[in-house]
Amino acid sequence: MAFDRLLNVARKEFSDHITSRRFIIILGLLLVISAISIHEGIEQYNDNLESYTEQFQYMQESDDPYSSWMPSKPSIMYVFISMMGYMTMLGGILAIAIGFDQVSKEKETRSLKTLLSHPVYRDEIINGKALGGVGALGLAMALALAIAIAMLLVFSVVPTLNEFVAILIFGAVSLAFLLAYFAVSLTMSTVSKESGNALIYTLVIFFAVSSLLPMFGTMAADAFAGDPPEPPDAFVSKEVVRTVSGSGYYTSSSSQSVVYGGEEDPAWKEYEEEMKPYVEKRRFISDISNILSPQMNYYTVAMAVTNPEISAMIYSPYDAASEETPGLADALGRVWMNIAALIVFPSAFFAATYVKFMRMDIR
Amino acid sequence: MSQIAGGAIGLGLTTTVFSAQDSFVDGIEVAKDPLKVKEIIGYLPEDVGFYGNMTGEQNLDYFARFYGMNARERKERITTLLELVHLDGVTQKAGEYSRGMKQRLGLAQALINDPKVLFLDEPTANLDPEGVREYRDLVSRLAGEGKTVFVSSHILSEVRAVCRTVGLLAKGKLVAQGTLEAVARTLAPADGDAVQIVVETRERLPEIEDPEILAVERNGNRAIFRAKTDIRDRLAASLFEQGVHVREMRLEEPDIEDVFMAVYRR
Repeated sequence: MAFDRLLNVARKEFSDHITSRRFIIILGLLLVISAISIHEGIEQYNDNLESYTEQFQYMQESDDPYSSWMPSKPSIMYVFISMMGYMTMLGGILAIAIGFDQVSKEKETRSLKTLLSHPVYRDEIINGKALGGVGALGLAMALALAIAIAMLLVFSVVPTLNEFVAILIFGAVSLAFLLAYFAVSLTMSTVSKESGNALIYTLVIFFAVSSLLPMFGTMAADAFAGDPPEPPDAFVSKEVVRTVSGSGYYTSSSSQSVVYGGEEDPAWKEYEEEMKPYVEKRRFISDISNILSPQMNYYTVAMAVTNPEISAMIYSPYDAASEETPGLADALGRVWMNIAALIVFPSAFFAATYVKFMRMDIR
Repeated sequence: MSQIAGGAIGLGLTTTVFSAQDSFVDGIEVAKDPLKVKEIIGYLPEDVGFYGNMTGEQNLDYFARFYGMNARERKERITTLLELVHLDGVTQKAGEYSRGMKQRLGLAQALINDPKVLFLDEPTANLDPEGVREYRDLVSRLAGEGKTVFVSSHILSEVRAVCRTVGLLAKGKLVAQGTLEAVARTLAPADGDAVQIVVETRERLPEIEDPEILAVERNGNRAIFRAKTDIRDRLAASLFEQGVHVREMRLEEPDIEDVFMAVYRR
């Protein structure tokens, strides 16, 4: 495989994408919504920062022991949480839009046959097409991040080095998510004879893995994990179960220990011990199906990047709360399976595309 | 060796050439080094397709890049080819081209690398009469430059017009090869060894005795002699001796369509 031939195909595909009306419209929409949500996120961040500053000043001035609760310092990464929601919908549509007719259209117009009469191998063509698509999505993601960072700077919010790294990782994770659906659409485009069918097949997969799989996971968890353990009667009213919901079908629960006078209640502790395997079993069952959903993996990993504290709480609800804010590396370490899934999912579809394209009968 | 070879109905000429295990083009084995073969051949597929969002020039530029041409070489070559196929100055996108324009552009893309061997699949399909004439001139010129041109066509009159050598494939096998007439004679039925001589005279045709004559089909002043060999000289002499004025005397060539169809029906 010669790199220059591959690059020739990639260059043409990239150029086709970024000049296509379809891409420009969806990208424009993505960027506008991105800018609006970032603006809202910045306002929220500024409010949080103000509250934090007020609380900090109050703590320094007050001797009241009950006033010592200190909220954590808001991170500018909260701004990017809002990006997750529309990225999974508009970003997914953008990825599908550039991939669903990449091969099928060439079959329909017979340009593929003409192309193959020139000195270029099939693997160079399909890899070039994939590279061109990745480049176009990379550009879309880079533009979205550039606008986000520019807006942060315009509103005088300057990211630290760590935050800047986190923003880049968020961008990379978002790109990996987009590649998942780009790979699906490219596969369907290769398998289908017509672009219309390729689009329908891709949308079916899109909704199946984004909606059906998480629902199926929750149903399976309910069915196989059984009923949750009963809390001690005396403390029923004091049970604390939190539900954290993301933009999709993300549900997790955690409980808090009840401590009186510095001593933990044994009944409650026993309840906690029973609850822990139950919650882990439920999560294990739902994780099995969720791992196949790029949306769920994206939410999980993006949450670890944008809000490591929440992410840590979701993953280790019964661990003793650490005084220190979990680092980005720790948070990413906890979601390594989701990161791997975000890599494996598009890779599997790219591999399927490659095999099919190499064996395709082109007449 | 410069030659123009042709094929006929349903040959799948290019498919046969490119899929055969022991095919060689200019000494290069197709199966072992397909890319090198593609570098020296040009191919106009039947119903040629292009990228509809690009102009003809952009399409050609994309294909030319696979041959390692630099920007200046590409520019010069594309300008020459677009002039050759009368698409210079056309700013439309290829998606807006008529079928004839696409066929012309197809010819240009087949010539982008100045190939040694050219494969043309139904080259005159969609071309207007002027386009057909220009195509024939172009093929003759390319053959004159020492290139080999393979033509695959359903239109046997087109094959007859441009091809010096014909190969006839039937059921994946080369049935006959040679000039069109030689192939037709080779494939003609057993009694096809006979030649047919068409004669037209001013006066009524007299009876002619010749041991070579097999049969005579008369129609007033006109007759078709079926003979074992070409006896035109003897026929002319006999008619002259009998004072008959000859208006026309010619050897009737075998009907190539009929001969080819007979082979496919076998």
